[in-house]
Amino acid sequence: MSELFAPPGNRWQPVSPALARMRRTLLVGAGVLLAIAGVALILAFGLPSWALAAFLVVLLAAAGAGWVVIGRNAGYWGYAERDEDLYIKHGALFRRLVAVPYGRMQYVDVTAGPLEQAYGIATVHLHTASPHTSARIPGLRRDEAARLRDRLTSLGEAQAAGL
Amino acid sequence: MTEAPSREREYRRLSPLTPLVRSFIFLVAVVGSSWQSLLHGEGVGPLVWVLLALGLAGACYGAASWVRTKYWIEADELRVDTGVIGRQSRRIRIDRLQGIDIVQPFVARLFGLAELRMDAAGSGREGSLSFLRLSEAQQLKELLLARRDAARAREDGGAPVAPTPAEAPERLLTRIGPGLLAGAVALSSETLVSVLSAAVLVAVAMWFDSLAAAGGLFPVILGAGLVAFRRFSGAYGFTVTEGPAGLQVRRGLFDLDTQTIALPRLQGVTITEPLLWRRLGWARLDVSLAGTAHDDHGRGPAASTVLPVADRRLALWLAAHLLGRPLPPDEILRRPPSRARWVAPIGQHFMAVGADDAVIVSRDGWLTRRTHLVPHARVQSLRLRQGPVQRLLGLADLHVDSPPGPVRVRARHRDAAEARGLLEVERQVARAARLRTSCQALDRL
Repeated sequence: MSELFAPPGNRWQPVSPALARMRRTLLVGAGVLLAIAGVALILAFGLPSWALAAFLVVLLAAAGAGWVVIGRNAGYWGYAERDEDLYIKHGALFRRLVAVPYGRMQYVDVTAGPLEQAYGIATVHLHTASPHTSARIPGLRRDEAARLRDRLTSLGEAQAAGL
Repeated sequence: MTEAPSREREYRRLSPLTPLVRSFIFLVAVVGSSWQSLLHGEGVGPLVWVLLALGLAGACYGAASWVRTKYWIEADELRVDTGVIGRQSRRIRIDRLQGIDIVQPFVARLFGLAELRMDAAGSGREGSLSFLRLSEAQQLKELLLARRDAARAREDGGAPVAPTPAEAPERLLTRIGPGLLAGAVALSSETLVSVLSAAVLVAVAMWFDSLAAAGGLFPVILGAGLVAFRRFSGAYGFTVTEGPAGLQVRRGLFDLDTQTIALPRLQGVTITEPLLWRRLGWARLDVSLAGTAHDDHGRGPAASTVLPVADRRLALWLAAHLLGRPLPPDEILRRPPSRARWVAPIGQHFMAVGADDAVIVSRDGWLTRRTHLVPHARVQSLRLRQGPVQRLLGLADLHVDSPPGPVRVRARHRDAAEARGLLEVERQVARAARLRTSCQALDRL
């Protein structure tokens, strides 16, 4: 298993821990909203207090599980810049690895939504002529994303191959 | 093949029959909705007046649009001016043109007209001219192709490489008879599945002694029949010829379609063999091309079909011809490990993958067997995937990414270590092949 997704060089470059922080913030926000709505409904229908307790326990357990999963998932993102290809791996349960030759890149996208901006991270997305190439790295520090984009673009130009 | 410069400034118009062809369906609707009342001398209802008024307005607009639409060739650009109220001017760079297809929808064909469709690098449809007289469309196509080759030769470094003679003879490769085509449609896996499911339904209905339930089957049968007929009519008279521009495909019973498959754009080939065809030794050949929409309008065979059905040997020969080298023997195909049966109990027996020095091959499918071949030099990116069950079994999938099209090389349920090894080997082989191709392109200059 470890060999299948072993790093091509020394080690996988991890993504910023801000990715997990951002997703956990989203999780807590959604959980709080759900809790407020649920408690309001339970009180409105006059259900017994054990129902309230059960609801809160289940919600807390789900949030806890989500907290752990987010951390695990963020830990599985990794990329490695090689001389001729970019490797990206991700996924804890369903694992994925993609190797994109620089010569095959058509363009590179850097996107950062409002929340991502607040956490100072961005997503780098590589496109080839194939729509199946799912080469996306979320949660890069903004300066790292810019550096990666510039490096990929220059390498792509240097090694570009026609279709 | 170059024309005198003085003629270039001259613009040309579309066929004056264009508005008629475009509104033909509408005219049919008017006549169809009112002939009965006209015959009975009852006068016409208000609906017909509305339709007539609309028709008149449409006719004026059509005539105005025809007057305002002009096209001409100017300095390596095809320019098309259109627009009745606002003016639109389109410039299509001739050197960027990838393919030019002549299409004849049924109504246009009745009037001897054709549409010229142009594919440009990268994006999908760059533009179309509809409608032209068929001979005019063919002349324009030849002219554009000759211009494109000349422009590209100039770009590539001066020396005008022998421009492909426009009137080079076209070699007929094959023509598919209607009998073979009808047989192929009748024996396809889709037909097999619908016949079997219909039989099951009828059997169930008879078991419960209520044939009324089988009546619900009628629309299903009708639908399946229509789909089968469309596939037949779309591929009717399928003719493959080889010319200087590449492979030429002509097909269609009602709508006539002409396509050029330029070999430099070839990304891979797929050989499809449904269960019943295998007994008869038939096969179908599809290709992926760079810079084409996968399936134009979904009618008839997709734009990528080179042979809708043919003798297996012919399909294999043509595949080898397109790839420019003999196909690898079946012996190079290796099956996944037997523990893959836990994830794919039936499919596992039909999956295989292999590679030789020029192509990577994968095969799968029991009901419909598909063999995908992609030259190493055309590989885009490589992906590994592993789900939780596969992880327990120590298996993984390797996907070879290609541009949009029917060709998808996949090595499914391989041993995990083997899958990673395949990825690393293919990565290097693909890179070497890519470099070799670029060097050859440089040498040719």
